[in-house]
Amino acid sequence: MSRSETPSWERHLDRWAEAAARQLARGLSRRSLLGRLGATLAGAAALPLLPVSRVSAASSDPAPAAPEGLDGPEGDPSSCQYWRHCAIDGFLCSCCGGSHTACPPGTVMSPVTWIGTCRNPADGRQYVISYNDCCGKHLCGRCLCNRNEGDRPAYLPPKSNDINWCASAPSTVYHCSTAIVLGVATES
Amino acid sequence: MARRAGGGGRTPAAWAVAAALLLAAAAAGPAAAEAISGPRLDYVLHCMGCHLEDGGGAPESVPTLEGFGRFLQIPDGRAYLVRVPGSAHAPLDDAALAALLNWMLVRFDPTRARAPEFRPYEAAEVTRYRAVPLADADAERRRLLRVLDGDPSGDR
Repeated sequence: MSRSETPSWERHLDRWAEAAARQLARGLSRRSLLGRLGATLAGAAALPLLPVSRVSAASSDPAPAAPEGLDGPEGDPSSCQYWRHCAIDGFLCSCCGGSHTACPPGTVMSPVTWIGTCRNPADGRQYVISYNDCCGKHLCGRCLCNRNEGDRPAYLPPKSNDINWCASAPSTVYHCSTAIVLGVATES
Repeated sequence: MARRAGGGGRTPAAWAVAAALLLAAAAAGPAAAEAISGPRLDYVLHCMGCHLEDGGGAPESVPTLEGFGRFLQIPDGRAYLVRVPGSAHAPLDDAALAALLNWMLVRFDPTRARAPEFRPYEAAEVTRYRAVPLADADAERRRLLRVLDGDPSGDR
């Protein structure tokens, strides 16, 4: 069948299809097609991996110290400025699932510790504070509080807060620190 | 933006209860605190962190103080209790260290401390012992214990 015999509606359809194909070919190079396809596939592959990657990173690296809990009233036990924390150096157990007097679940309080005094602004008296470490889980990583009033270098071990006081606990892995009042220091 | 879990929805009443609990906790600490003074305060501040309140210490790292008055039975042992680093390096003058050691002997070895032959430390004696450095405290302790146990190899 000769061209002249082709029905006019089919010729229009051919021309439209040809023009559309050429238009698509001019505006879409193979490189851009592959680029967009690759990005789509890679994105789809990465999405379900993100939480997994974060979990694995969190379990293998020590968590960075977060700033929360560092500011607050000196009467708030969850604050670094809490008066009992005057000589502490560590993560506050109150930010780690415990309290300023109790270890978080899964940790054990070290019996051996270092002891200092802090002035209570409520009555102006010096209180004896025991900074028992909680041991048995990796670094808490929250509410790092490093105040060091009365801290001494490590060559004076009983007065140094840089020592890992978990050394005599069932596990030597340090998690966080408490601040327990033993009594009030008075002149004899 | 999604709310953080547990971060929203707290009522003023809940905050008031939390604040009241905080104030109660802050007030309870000082009210319940026991007064500590004299040689006992020195023990708490300079010894108790490692030797613990009952003097029990820690296995294989901190010797127990229970019955430690036996060192007084020989002259080198009497000097050892002053020369051992925990004593000699304590930030206390000689009179305060003598008072601390005497208090510890009564507290952790009451039988020997109340015996007629017990002679408490005096400041001048502490001064004399403290002037002689102890190079190897562990070795000296082992030697003294051998002597006290009647082992002749403990004698120099």
